[in-house]
Amino acid sequence: MTKPVLGLLLGGILGVFDGLTAYFTPEARSMLLGIVIGSTFKGLVAGLAIGFFSKKVHSVPWGIVFGLAIGLFLAFLVAAMPQPGGKHYYFEIMLPGAIVGAIVGYATQVWRGKKLSTA
Amino acid sequence: MRWLSNATVAHLRRVAEWPDLGATKYRLLGELGRGGMGTVYLAEDTALERRVALKVVATAASAPEAAERMLREARILAGLEHPGIVPVHDAGALPDGRVFYAMKRVDGQRLDALAASVPLPERLRIFRRICEAVAFAHARGVIHRDLKPENVMVGSFGEVLVMDWGVARVLSDPAPTGSPAAGSGASGATAEGTVVGTAGYMAPEQAEGAVASTGPRADVFALGGILAFLLRSEPAAPRALAAIVEKARARQPEDRYATAEELSAEINRYLEGERVLAHSEGVLERAGRVFARYRAAILLIVAYLVVRTLLLIFGRHS
Amino acid sequence: MRDDTGIGGRADRFPATRDSAVLAAQSSDLLERERGLAILVETYWKPAYKYLRLRFGESNEDAKDLTQGFFARAIEKDFFDGYDPARGSFRTYLRTCLERFAANEKKAASRQKRSPGGALLALDFANAESELHREPVSADRGPEDVFHDEFVRSLFALSIERLREECLVRGKDLPYRLFERYELDRDGDEKLSYERLAEEFHIPVTQVTNFLAFARREFRRIVLEKLREITANDREFREEARSLLGVGAGGVAP
Repeated sequence: MTKPVLGLLLGGILGVFDGLTAYFTPEARSMLLGIVIGSTFKGLVAGLAIGFFSKKVHSVPWGIVFGLAIGLFLAFLVAAMPQPGGKHYYFEIMLPGAIVGAIVGYATQVWRGKKLSTA
Repeated sequence: MRWLSNATVAHLRRVAEWPDLGATKYRLLGELGRGGMGTVYLAEDTALERRVALKVVATAASAPEAAERMLREARILAGLEHPGIVPVHDAGALPDGRVFYAMKRVDGQRLDALAASVPLPERLRIFRRICEAVAFAHARGVIHRDLKPENVMVGSFGEVLVMDWGVARVLSDPAPTGSPAAGSGASGATAEGTVVGTAGYMAPEQAEGAVASTGPRADVFALGGILAFLLRSEPAAPRALAAIVEKARARQPEDRYATAEELSAEINRYLEGERVLAHSEGVLERAGRVFARYRAAILLIVAYLVVRTLLLIFGRHS
Repeated sequence: MRDDTGIGGRADRFPATRDSAVLAAQSSDLLERERGLAILVETYWKPAYKYLRLRFGESNEDAKDLTQGFFARAIEKDFFDGYDPARGSFRTYLRTCLERFAANEKKAASRQKRSPGGALLALDFANAESELHREPVSADRGPEDVFHDEFVRSLFALSIERLREECLVRGKDLPYRLFERYELDRDGDEKLSYERLAEEFHIPVTQVTNFLAFARREFRRIVLEKLREITANDREFREEARSLLGVGAGGVAP
């Protein structure tokens, strides 16, 4: 599995779960499906970008920083979208989004594709 | 007549001892160091216009055997083409009869001088490179028999080179039998009962002069000594590493790592945060190692969970 | 090839251009004897003088008289005839003779005032004395070491003198001057490089290298020649060469 594919998969999966956490917020529960789809899509895009970055730059710290940045940026775009109630959830979306990006950034950095012989 | 200071006299003694390279393509530039078998000089290869290290036999040593040993070392080295083993370029005899060989000039520091200034993981990586070079030699049937920090050079670009193969044993050479007093035979191989090596790094069987049973595991023992040396500057060496040292330096050869490769793999496990085979760890120790290994991942996940929890709590309140 | 310059193999290791001065000094042929003794005196008078000064605490004047007396006696009285090469190096023999001579002289002096008997040999004691004060002897050098150190110093100084003369005669003035500058007059100047020498002497670096190699080769040849002169036989010569220069034990047969 290549790094971009891993980024895509992991970004997608974490996106799904991140979206599902909206279930615990009663007022958001009605929009759960939309949130999960949006969050998954965001995860896929971020994961792909992070995966390609990891392919180019081999550094765990930079991977985390890049993941953090791209997660933050995409989450900002999502949070800035016009909301039905007019209220924007910047914190609630951007903070976890950034951390999920960082996790994907870390994972794609330590991932070696196939197990290298260590000797 | 001029007066000569002590320093000048000492310098002149060296100068007069310098080999006469008159009829060779080499030009002498200085002295790099002295060993038991010979002196290493810095020279320029005028044909290729590059600097080389010339090892010239010390005629102070008993002559024909020393010359034969020197050539033997050159031939062994020539057969060991590996990035971790110093390459030989040329060998021959000087106009004054002294045997020499030319090898790569390594710009760097000896491991014993360098070790203290390098962080532990880097030291372990250097050590792994030494193991790899030694494993390569073993695969070619060559036992170094005098591995120690002084015989390892670390180049300025991080390259690690194992030097001084003067007392190496070639496994295909049968160990000559005969009285120890006969010393080395004409083949340059070591007679049974002859002790070669350096105390402190020498395996017990090697120290007893049991040449025939001095195999790869004797080098593993010496590698264990090098590892112990590399850990010396640590206030408290990690227990897993101490266990590796202990296993490598086991008294009985069969209790040690069978090969330098195994030892290298063990170091690799340590560096990767995996479980070291020589050491059975307790639960806490294991948890600590796993945490250390996946620290970044664990911290990130915890951070995510904390953020989510905080958002939930504050979301409810607002 | 080039046996005359002493790099032709054996000739370098066993220079046979001069016979042993030690054996010559024992010869019955008067001329030969004189030649041998002159060489021995030339090589050993300074070490002897300094040895007496440094290790026996002799005063300047006493050491001077003793040195003069010792060599004068050696010339008159077949001192060196008693040397047997089988029993050790000539250098050790000479030192033992010197010690014995000094002890006897002192005993005699306590009975009567020693008469120096006029300057027998033209030895520059003032110079030797001034050399003594140029560098203190380190405390860890034993009596034998001091004598050996002074012997090596004397041998090298004589060799350099001969190198200078030979270079001058052969029109090799520049190689000698380079040798002098690079090997003798450095004064701890670690930065002195071939490149800087090339600039100083207005010659290419390759020439610096070649000239220096030549001068070193010649120096080495002369030292070995001198050693050959002041040793009695091949074995002693080899041992001295080995201890002095780490050469002479052989190598590969040519």
